[in-house]
Amino acid sequence: MRRRRVNPAAGARAGAGALPEAIAALSRSLPSGPSPEIFRRAKFDRPEATSALWQLLFRVLSPLPAGNALASIALEVQARLVKSALCSQGYPRLALAQLPEDGSQGSRELLLALSWLLARGPVPEQMLAQTRVPLGDEMTVCQCEALASLGPPAPHMEAEGPVDVRHVQWLMGKLRFRWRQLVSSQQEQCALLSKIHLYTRGCHSDQNLGHLSVTEAEMLRDPEGGQKLLRTLEHESRRLEAVLAWRRSEPVFWQWMDTVLGTCAPEAPAAASQPTFLPWVPECGDGELELVVRELQTLEEELQEAVERRRVAWEAKARGCGRGPEWSAARQAFRETVEKELGALQQCWEQDSGPAPAHGPHRLVRREDGAAGDQDLRAAELIRTLRSQEACLEAVLRQLQGQCRQELARLAGALPGLIWIPPPGR
Amino acid sequence: MSIVTVQLGQCGNQIGFEVFDALLSDSHSSQGLCCKRENEAYQASCKERFFSEEENGVPIARAVLVDMEPKVINQTLSKAAQSGRWKYGQHACFCQKQGSGNNWAYGYSVHGPRHEESIMNLIRKEVEKCDSLSGFFIIMSMAGGTGSGIGAFVTQNLQDQYSNSLKMNQIIWPYGTGEVIVQNYNSILTLSHLYRSSDALLVHENDAVHKICAKLMNIKQISFSDINQVLAHQLGSVFQPTYSAESSFHYRRNPLGIDWHVRPPLSGPPSLGKMSLNKDLHFNTSIANLVILRGKDVQSADVEGFKDPALYTSWLEPVNAFNVWKTQRAFSKYEKSAVLVSNSQFLVKPLDMIVGKAWNMFASKAYIHQYTKFGIEEEDFLDSFTSLEQVVASYCNL
Repeated sequence: MRRRRVNPAAGARAGAGALPEAIAALSRSLPSGPSPEIFRRAKFDRPEATSALWQLLFRVLSPLPAGNALASIALEVQARLVKSALCSQGYPRLALAQLPEDGSQGSRELLLALSWLLARGPVPEQMLAQTRVPLGDEMTVCQCEALASLGPPAPHMEAEGPVDVRHVQWLMGKLRFRWRQLVSSQQEQCALLSKIHLYTRGCHSDQNLGHLSVTEAEMLRDPEGGQKLLRTLEHESRRLEAVLAWRRSEPVFWQWMDTVLGTCAPEAPAAASQPTFLPWVPECGDGELELVVRELQTLEEELQEAVERRRVAWEAKARGCGRGPEWSAARQAFRETVEKELGALQQCWEQDSGPAPAHGPHRLVRREDGAAGDQDLRAAELIRTLRSQEACLEAVLRQLQGQCRQELARLAGALPGLIWIPPPGR
Repeated sequence: MSIVTVQLGQCGNQIGFEVFDALLSDSHSSQGLCCKRENEAYQASCKERFFSEEENGVPIARAVLVDMEPKVINQTLSKAAQSGRWKYGQHACFCQKQGSGNNWAYGYSVHGPRHEESIMNLIRKEVEKCDSLSGFFIIMSMAGGTGSGIGAFVTQNLQDQYSNSLKMNQIIWPYGTGEVIVQNYNSILTLSHLYRSSDALLVHENDAVHKICAKLMNIKQISFSDINQVLAHQLGSVFQPTYSAESSFHYRRNPLGIDWHVRPPLSGPPSLGKMSLNKDLHFNTSIANLVILRGKDVQSADVEGFKDPALYTSWLEPVNAFNVWKTQRAFSKYEKSAVLVSNSQFLVKPLDMIVGKAWNMFASKAYIHQYTKFGIEEEDFLDSFTSLEQVVASYCNL
């Protein structure tokens, strides 16, 4: 892990009490952040700081919004998910993967992991965006995933032996059923939103918007709920202020983290060549060890011979494939076809759409025809874009289905005496 | 969440009337055995699902009535209006003066396309009246020409136009010794087409309901009206509001939200009366079971027997296959009632029988010309047989 370059002057400007303030700001800007004391204990790798840091890392890495569901997940499970999430993001320190999951030790490693995440991206801002209270009725237009999905721990699926295809069919049916329920619910929601927007025309103080959103209408109907909303907004405000304070005092934190990194033992370089989990070396006497070493050497030689034989055989078979003029011509042809298909698809997508719509959620506003501003996205255009994208994808789907059907027919035809009854089309 | 009902043919319209009547009279029943607030929530939920409100306060059923003959529709409309408590919409029905001659092909290939626009328009108007559409409930018989043929056609159209809404078809399984000679042809054509476009098939066998009337209710001269009332009672006890395990604070929003899973189920007849849970299901494997309990002591009811893995197929855990819905509010003056909706091998035998009989007729080409005359070719029959054989095989292999 490289040390982050910090402007020493900035750190020097800050006074003696700057570090606890900085950490306190960081802690306030994160959801349920641990106290500065925990951070200090973690620098000295105290065990009591460990579970708080596991939980904080879990909150940061998990895309789920806060709720009771998170609290009920066991620490071991949280730790395991944190490890796998960090691994998939490319976290370089192996020591973290080897930490026990019961929260008994490793707080310094966890602190390093947290600071790695903080250095990579605007974590407090991202977390704030996650728990944002939308006042308007919103929907997202872009189709990118907001965060890599961690999701709640899935039930442990053992793929023992062959799976009954009927079970798979059953699962598909269930999935399709839920999908349709989702679509109907969405349609219902749209119809109701439309009604609310229609009925509350002229009620909004902001002329630009003109009508109330669901949250705003609820606030009028239920004053107590309005008070609650106000308190939530104030809480959000405080977190925002904490984020700003954190950004101002950040350099102090990084200077301190340098010292934390300094207290760690240096990690072995060339981490990539090491396996994540070291093989367990049994304790045995010297003589036995010699024997084991010799056996391993013999095994290695045998394997090398086998590999050599295989390689020769493969090259003989593949001669001509991968080399030779026909192969390169074929490859060129493939490449061109794929490029053409991709180009057609992209063209299809970009045909009707104007400038790409911005990412993130947009507020839904119902307006008279032609009253939309320049910066506004018009629903009709978006619908048109989405429809043309859908048409392209459907065409591709149909083509692929046709190919599958041909392939199946070919396979069935290859077996004489077999009568092929395709399933009734749905 | 509202359901739009489509009543097709003589059978569909008669049953539809009984269903709405049963739902509304239960909703207004004074012996709910629960507190006032509970009762009001129940009533509001029931009302929103099946009825829309008019100015003078008389609820209007969310239904579209379709028949090719005017007689039954007129009877249905007037019976509803006479009750004074509810009625059908003034312009909610579509009928012709022609009839379908018990010919599935005529219903599907002639009447269907010819009247497609008018019928779908009526349905669209009903859908627009709903704040949120939960799905469609289509009542039809299998054996006739109108209900079955047009029913299959309309269901397909609904699949195309409202692909995200659920569709449940209520199918009346004809008497084994029925009067319509080609009822087996009509049945297999209906089932194979519905298999493709419907989400759930809820089956009532005339024979089974007849037995209920005779043995459990001791009715001497069983009329269609008696049968329809029993049917309506069963359906009502499935559709009236309940709480499911997940949300115990609101009545389930979507009564059609029954996870029918892999295939449209051919469900067995639900049980009536006091807490009768028949346990001899050992040789009948289920894909899914739903138990609905209403009335006194529902919270302490013991449904552990339904969680026995032996009842279900090997690739499904009982926790995934079994659901219980409950409400304290009693249904239709029964202090306690229970309904079992089951997706199991129960209907394999009747289905197999119908397919067998239809095949025998088909093998001798009896009456086929009446179908080919209107565009249903022999290949269509063969496709139907293939689909249904696949269904039978899949269920047998559970």
